[in-house]
Amino acid sequence: MAQASRQPTKAKPLNRSKLPLSGRIVMFFVRHVQQAMASMGELWRNPLSSIMTMAVLGVSLSLPAALQVLVKNAESITQSWNSAAEISLFVDEGRSEQSIQSLIARIRVYPEIAEVQYISREQALAEFQRLSGFGEALSYLDTNPLPAVVMVTPTVKHSNPKGARLLLSKLERESEVSFGRLDIEWLERLQAVVRLLERSVLAVALLLVLAVVLVIGNTIRLAIMNRRTEIEVMKLVGATESFIQRPFLYTGIWFGVIGGMLAWLIINVLVWYLEGALVELLGLYGSSLQMQSLTFVELLELMLLASFLGWLGSFLSVRQHIRAIEPS
Amino acid sequence: MIRFEQVSKVYSGGQKALNDVSVHLQKGEMAFLTGHSGAGKSTLLKLITVIERASAGRLWINGHDIAQVKPKQIPYLRRDIGMIFQNHHLLMDKTVFDNVALPLVIEGFSHGEIRKRVAGALDMVGLYGKEKHAPIMLSGGEQQRVGIARAIVNKPPLLLADEPTGNLDPKLSMDILRLFETFNDAGTSVLIATHDLGLIARMKYRTLTLKQGRLLGAQELQL
Repeated sequence: MAQASRQPTKAKPLNRSKLPLSGRIVMFFVRHVQQAMASMGELWRNPLSSIMTMAVLGVSLSLPAALQVLVKNAESITQSWNSAAEISLFVDEGRSEQSIQSLIARIRVYPEIAEVQYISREQALAEFQRLSGFGEALSYLDTNPLPAVVMVTPTVKHSNPKGARLLLSKLERESEVSFGRLDIEWLERLQAVVRLLERSVLAVALLLVLAVVLVIGNTIRLAIMNRRTEIEVMKLVGATESFIQRPFLYTGIWFGVIGGMLAWLIINVLVWYLEGALVELLGLYGSSLQMQSLTFVELLELMLLASFLGWLGSFLSVRQHIRAIEPS
Repeated sequence: MIRFEQVSKVYSGGQKALNDVSVHLQKGEMAFLTGHSGAGKSTLLKLITVIERASAGRLWINGHDIAQVKPKQIPYLRRDIGMIFQNHHLLMDKTVFDNVALPLVIEGFSHGEIRKRVAGALDMVGLYGKEKHAPIMLSGGEQQRVGIARAIVNKPPLLLADEPTGNLDPKLSMDILRLFETFNDAGTSVLIATHDLGLIARMKYRTLTLKQGRLLGAQELQL
């Protein structure tokens, strides 16, 4: 037993390459670039198997991006309509013309107000007779039933629904004002629709993002299965898991990048196709807005997101399947 | 270099592959491991390369207590073991150069260094100038030698060979064994598993014989 109790010779630590530190650092980056390029080359050499995956990714990514473009354009349209908010102040009956003029003079100096327009009872009646078609019927009435109205246009800053509402309640405290009406409900409804649209975009985008991750994960799983023997041999000659994983992770990133570029292409075609129709529609509303495509920053975000998703899908797959392959 | 202390291995199915094996392969020693199929040769090699873990007993490889080696450290342990397989485990869609260079690429050597070392390893096994060939174009003996070149290119202190001459005729087998002798002369420990008893008989090296998971003649191995 003398031999058994003898301590084994001192061994070098088991977590280190044999190369010096500086060489390791340099080679770390060199290997990364090499493996990234090798993964790209692999895709390039076998385009048929990867084209379908990339097409699926392109379409999946183009949908949320297209919806983003849609929301963005809808927002810019509603913003240009925001200033259409107008407040109608109905003046108490029986107020003299003089007190109405003093009211107008007072509210004209409100900092929130851009424009004040006065419609006297007579003007209101004349307009009503002209527009409503009830002119004959009105002439049977003894007195003018219409109140005097002061039309107030808030400044751009205060024309959003909240600001306009605040201004309305402030104006209603004026003693001459019987009540005011804010012609903004349709705007609020429109904004609610836009908000709903934004939420659906988010939900759809999340689902499609999930689809992208799953598609990439499955593609990478198949690639791992195809290279099973190679992975076994690599493990036998001492390759670490991260070394084996890296080419697959880069493949995932490339899938994402190319899918993102495809999505960008699809969106530009889509915008080009829709632009004519939209400009015509906006022209009917008297707006001269241009259809917006993705900005450069948004393109960058799309590419970053796409490559991240590619990496994530690949990572989830790689972590599970490469560990499962052990030499036997 | 390799030390087994009362090592047993029972597979999860209850099959007893190794039973109370104690053996010590010294640094720089060359030995044969023989036995019938199913005697436990493969299991013993798998324990050394940590493909399997022992059920009982302790073993040291190159000074490392295997029980204390974490899964993450296994790759680094394997880099010190050159492994040669009966079916050589070559990557058939890669060139000879890529196959032999694999351990160096994993270790992270520069391209120039890899070229130099691969050329050196191929020269040693007599395949100099065949870097660009595909393994499929080579004969069985040549493929085996590519596998050997891959095992030694990293200059590991320990070489393990599992039936390296299994598919070769006697003359080629002898050539391969001579090759192992030259590595051994250079200080590498070598353990060769084989059932080619005729081959062993002609050589002067120690022979470990396994029978039904037990090591025969254990007494004289305590030398």
